[in-house]
Amino acid sequence: MDPLLEAGLVETRRHFFARSAGGIGTAALASLVNPDLFAEKKATSGLPGMPHFAPKAKRVIYLFMSGAPSQLDMWDYKPKMKEYYNKDLPDSIRNGQRITTMTSGQKRFPVAPSIFKFNQHGAHGAWVSELLPHTAKMVDDLAVIKTVNTEAINHDPAITYIQTGSQLPGRPSTGAWMSYGLGSMNDNLPAFMVLHSTVNGGFGGQALYSRLWGAGFLSNRHQGVSLRSAGDPVLYLSNPAGMSDSMRRKMLDELGRLNRERFAAVGDPEIQARISQYEMAYRMQTSVPELTDISGESKATLEMYGPEVKKPGTFAANCLLARRLAERGVRFTQIFIRQWDQHGNLPKDIRRQCGIVDRPSWALVQDLKQRGMLDDTLVIWGGEFGRTIYCQGGLSTKNYGRDHHPRCYTKWMTGAGIKGGIVYGETDDFSYNVVDKPVHIHDLNATILNQFGVDHEKLTYRHQGRDFRLTDVHGEVISGLLA
Amino acid sequence: MTIRQTISLFFVTLGITASTFGAEGDVDFSRDILPLLSDNCFKCHGPDEANRKAKLRFDKHDASLEELKKGRATIVPGKSSQSEIYARLTAEDPDDRMPPPDTGKKLSEEEIELIRKWIDGGAKWAGHWAFQPPEPQKIPAPVKGWRVNNPVDNFIHASLARAGLPPQERAARETLIRRVTLDLTGLPPTIEEVDKFLADKSEKAYENVVRRLLDSPRYGEHMARFWLDAARYGDTHGLHLDNERSIWPYRDWVIDSFNSNQPFDRFTVEQLAGDLLPDSTLDQKVATGFNRCNVTTGEGGSIDDEYYVRYAVDRVETTATVWLGLTAGCAACHDHKFDPLTTKEFYQLFSYYFSLTERAMDGNKLLPPPIIKAPTMSQRRERKDLEKQAAAITSEIDELLANSGYKDPRPNEPLGDLGQQERVWIEDQLPAGAKPQGNGTPPWKFVAGPKHPVLSGKKSHTRVSTSDAITQHFFTDATDRLKITENSKLFAYVYLDPAKPPKTIQLQFNDGTWEHRATWGEDKAFLAGKHGAANHQMGKLPETGKWVRLEVPAKVVGLKPGAELNGWAFTQVNGTVHWDQAGIISISLSEEQRRSQYAWEQFTVHDNYSGVPGDVQKALKVERSKRSDDQAKLITRHFLRNIHPGSKGKVAEQLKKQKVINDRLAAIQKSMPSSMIMEDRKSPRQAYVLERGQYTEKREKVSSTVPSWLAPPVKDAPANRLGLAQWLVQPRHPLTARVTVNRFWQQFFGTGLVRTSEDFGVQGEHPSHPELLDWLALDFVGSGWDVKRFLAQLVLSATYQQSSRIEKNKLAADPENRLLARGPRFRLDAEVIRDQALAVSGLMNKQIGGKSVKPYQPAGLWKPVGFGGSNTSVFKQDKGDKLYRRSMYTFWKRTSPPPSMETFDAPNRETCQVRRARTNTPLQALVLMNDVQFVEAARKFAERVMGEDGDVDGKAVFAFRSILGRRPETAELTALARIYREYLVEFKAAGGSAAKLLSVGESPRDQKLDVNELAAWTMVTHLVLNLSETVTKE
Repeated sequence: MDPLLEAGLVETRRHFFARSAGGIGTAALASLVNPDLFAEKKATSGLPGMPHFAPKAKRVIYLFMSGAPSQLDMWDYKPKMKEYYNKDLPDSIRNGQRITTMTSGQKRFPVAPSIFKFNQHGAHGAWVSELLPHTAKMVDDLAVIKTVNTEAINHDPAITYIQTGSQLPGRPSTGAWMSYGLGSMNDNLPAFMVLHSTVNGGFGGQALYSRLWGAGFLSNRHQGVSLRSAGDPVLYLSNPAGMSDSMRRKMLDELGRLNRERFAAVGDPEIQARISQYEMAYRMQTSVPELTDISGESKATLEMYGPEVKKPGTFAANCLLARRLAERGVRFTQIFIRQWDQHGNLPKDIRRQCGIVDRPSWALVQDLKQRGMLDDTLVIWGGEFGRTIYCQGGLSTKNYGRDHHPRCYTKWMTGAGIKGGIVYGETDDFSYNVVDKPVHIHDLNATILNQFGVDHEKLTYRHQGRDFRLTDVHGEVISGLLA
Repeated sequence: MTIRQTISLFFVTLGITASTFGAEGDVDFSRDILPLLSDNCFKCHGPDEANRKAKLRFDKHDASLEELKKGRATIVPGKSSQSEIYARLTAEDPDDRMPPPDTGKKLSEEEIELIRKWIDGGAKWAGHWAFQPPEPQKIPAPVKGWRVNNPVDNFIHASLARAGLPPQERAARETLIRRVTLDLTGLPPTIEEVDKFLADKSEKAYENVVRRLLDSPRYGEHMARFWLDAARYGDTHGLHLDNERSIWPYRDWVIDSFNSNQPFDRFTVEQLAGDLLPDSTLDQKVATGFNRCNVTTGEGGSIDDEYYVRYAVDRVETTATVWLGLTAGCAACHDHKFDPLTTKEFYQLFSYYFSLTERAMDGNKLLPPPIIKAPTMSQRRERKDLEKQAAAITSEIDELLANSGYKDPRPNEPLGDLGQQERVWIEDQLPAGAKPQGNGTPPWKFVAGPKHPVLSGKKSHTRVSTSDAITQHFFTDATDRLKITENSKLFAYVYLDPAKPPKTIQLQFNDGTWEHRATWGEDKAFLAGKHGAANHQMGKLPETGKWVRLEVPAKVVGLKPGAELNGWAFTQVNGTVHWDQAGIISISLSEEQRRSQYAWEQFTVHDNYSGVPGDVQKALKVERSKRSDDQAKLITRHFLRNIHPGSKGKVAEQLKKQKVINDRLAAIQKSMPSSMIMEDRKSPRQAYVLERGQYTEKREKVSSTVPSWLAPPVKDAPANRLGLAQWLVQPRHPLTARVTVNRFWQQFFGTGLVRTSEDFGVQGEHPSHPELLDWLALDFVGSGWDVKRFLAQLVLSATYQQSSRIEKNKLAADPENRLLARGPRFRLDAEVIRDQALAVSGLMNKQIGGKSVKPYQPAGLWKPVGFGGSNTSVFKQDKGDKLYRRSMYTFWKRTSPPPSMETFDAPNRETCQVRRARTNTPLQALVLMNDVQFVEAARKFAERVMGEDGDVDGKAVFAFRSILGRRPETAELTALARIYREYLVEFKAAGGSAAKLLSVGESPRDQKLDVNELAAWTMVTHLVLNLSETVTKE
């Protein structure tokens, strides 16, 4: 029997018995009227009845800019601000909205116009700053959303919110929800993988938390597995020193034999499941190193991602790995890159960051496109909130900093049924408030699920007597983003 | 479809729980109907007033019988055909049909049929079972031929009989002792323990094992581990920086509490409100750490009010989950959709936790206040011993002094002029122990003449600034401290550069805090504009171009007699400043005056009794003529021992000894860990109902009150956490005891009698054995909440002792073993799996309690996620025996928990968890295959195996029995012996790989053993450690 199917059965059996008490969950009911579930056929371990409708996306690659990149210096072009240089942000714009205690004590809120040049690109003339020359080339493929908004004003609650739908710890992350709902598409790798990127060879910046790729109250099997650039790419993957592959194989054969004997004696189906899991572990010992070995990539491909692609752990290397993961049927890949939290010295730091992410982001999309994978791979770029038009700390014509700004910021999406060549939503002259077509982070998450054929209101899990979902009790699919 | 599937289908489609396998045919409202209404209807027709549709509610009896406008009653008892609810459930027209199709809710035909039956049967209404107090239960008659050990079995057998399933035979003795030892201590039995049990033919053999295990200190550790999941205990704050926090003395309190078998009601009260108990002890305060374990933040930019609310909400949710089995959190935003808890009631509970002295921002500190010093067990022992010695010496001194015949030379003279003493603290260098800090590198610049002005000694220290930013140099942690007495003045010499004078200079003094400031010049330094009792504006800047002595009376900067300075800061805004000679002027008695007790008595009153113990102070405050003999003696004794210069010499030797003891006591005091505790503000903070849970949306004022529909408030209970705790543990409370015994049941049987051990509300699962649950709850309360007695009862039952072999027919009928027609069998928890390997390898360090440790974890896990400034962004693995402590002592970084634990479903401890999942994944296989900890354990285990007498077979038997208790079957033994020989050949052939394998892990290898043999045995023990049976409680 197929190990994953079998593992899925164990899980599913539990799942529907878990629900058989206080009424029957729809999913469990569906499993009963769907005898196929019990048939011995190749299956994923997703929920029965999923997806809810025909999906556009099979997988997602989420490029997460942790620390909150400034929309004002990359995407949200505000030419009028030149006249406002060092003038106070009008009260009519701030409108009494709360701001963080890092700047709430400032005597003034002087406007800091972006010092970067903006130009129009693509057929629809999207404004993009000089910081993103490569990304600018592909705006015809992107839906640039300028009106993403959230309520959280600090990093920990904000990133927890966008990743899990709640500002407080405890809920499953987006990738975990997908793994739970849709299951895995491959036999050798987890459904949800996470990659961390170095900046100038090191780590630093705003903190990340394992809850951001955690499974919350869902089964641990749905949590994101880190694909690491140093040490074992997947934790505990390598055999200990001195233990050859043949020794391992012999040990596993013997283990399987002894476990099967025990099964014969005590009849516990968990033993059979465990035998399968050991076999999958063994397969991972081969499939993961094969995955991370990029020696077979063409010169042209490598060049596209830029010179950093050969340094493990860089954003460029991670983008290439993300494509390789996508090819191997990993459903949800999330790349984190930190150090976007530019309260001061923004011009210098954002230049560095853009220098790191611009080309590989573009290359990833081109690479997917060339392989015909962009049609069913969703790529998302952006952070947890935006930054303020007013300056934090000292303002000069060359230097400034920006505080956190939750009320509007920019992210982009492409591929998998997302409408390309659009700029969605509008903000006021100060990029302070949304004036047209707001996209709350719940809406964004609802739209992501929608592309996978998932009705975000129906992908639920009963925990503590309540049916939880990624979008809490909110969220609407933004049809204007769909092709 | 197989038979098994058909059976499952049948039960599930009917929405029937395990309990109904054996229940009588009647429709039971609480079990069968209420869950249907709750799941499908309550969202719009339930307790939540704001979202109620058509003013119709089904959660209350009278309301459901209400006439609708149309003239049809919602429910007409006995007549489904006249009941609107039935008409709507069966309506063909989608506009009339309920639940509305767009809700995604749908009742099956069988469910609708159940409702019809219920209405036609009279629509009998009852409250939700869990909100009614447990009722005394009749113990069912035993079933003939089925072994009964205690009433647990009567109840279990009654439902087995109804289901037509017989119980299973008793498990083999080896299986049984392994099961109960793992269950009560989290460790496997040793071979000696197994053999002893096998040899004990007495009736009480098993009971003796149980008693021994309950008395083992390992029991408390194991029980504490489950509790710590519920308490969301961790070693870091959990949010943002996720810095280390110190609350492990609370963890040790939990261990101790289980080991000493503290009754569960006391256990409850002390954790929720130990600080509020009359004359609360140190331990009772430490216990309140329970509700300081929640995650906190110190993230810059955060808004205090938002976090005060979040913390209190977390505490209510946790308290509700752990004691009430209720999901209170829903009611933070709106009236509960399913249970009767209103938003107002939620905020009344919230109010209990809204008035703590803690700050919203934890400051990323190890010990955010309120905190308390809490000695460890060994410190307590040592301190007790020292205090005994000190008492002996004191009486020796007293005796010597009592015989000295002291007479006051001037018993009636007024005090007269006092002496003045000056003490220089900073001159050319910093006091002992001081840690220099400040702006610039190095922050402290000592400079010499003649290039620089110097007043005395060889150097002065200086600071140059050209900006208006505040800049300073300072030190803290001086061990040679500066004592403040009555009328003390602090002084420092300053020289302001006439060419570049500063705008402001400021001195700050640290006696534990820096809140003591004196400022000269413009008001631009720290706390500008906020002058007060501890922040004094001294006046203009001193004259430039010369050394000026600055003097600051200690009083004006809020320093009280008795305070001790450990730090001093020199601060300025702009300019160039030199500083020299700084210290204190103390006014005190002259040597002559110190020979007179009366002179000293007059002085010490002025000196605010600095350094005088409380009982002596009390005596001194009594008028001289009115003092009792004892009081007079006490004062004289203190005076002679501590003040009088002559008599001090008579007891010099004793004083020396006393100093040694006191130094040691002080050292203990200093190294004593502290723990975070609860403490209420003197004036409570007003709580409000918060609209949608938003901290800014305050509505009605509320005060601390319990939801009395659950249980009446306890008479005369205070309106604080103590009152809340007393309410929870009142004997007639419907939930506390049920929820608690259910968690214990879950721990031993794998699933609770109520599966949803965190939710006893309407949406939770109905108990599989409601009568047994009530019986257990009342029995538990009746025994005085005796936990050990309760657990003994569980493991002594015949039900628990059954074989856990899974028969096909039983698997089909009851796949999850809810009826317990066999013994429990499930995968061990993460910690037990690791501890078991440590135990059989002989590596385990048995120390109980203490600071958490950092055993092996793969490199590079914290760095990619940690904030640069966090003190947990770099993992530094411990060394030596700290690598081998039980897993409950592993340092729990909540944003990146220990990976091998997490892989086996240990929670991250960010939120309260009372039920762990049990997955079976390839990543778990990888941990057991390749984690250093397990490979090293296999090697040390192999060394023990090789130390056994006997041939290969004998050694293999030893390996097998060490971990599984039982002897291997012939086939198993043959396999182990065979692979040993095969691996031996392989290692011999592959030169060097044996040594490599044996080098894994930091413990030294036994060099006397043959390297290839040891490697081959290591492969055998490695295999044994990976067996499915090894990670399973059978």
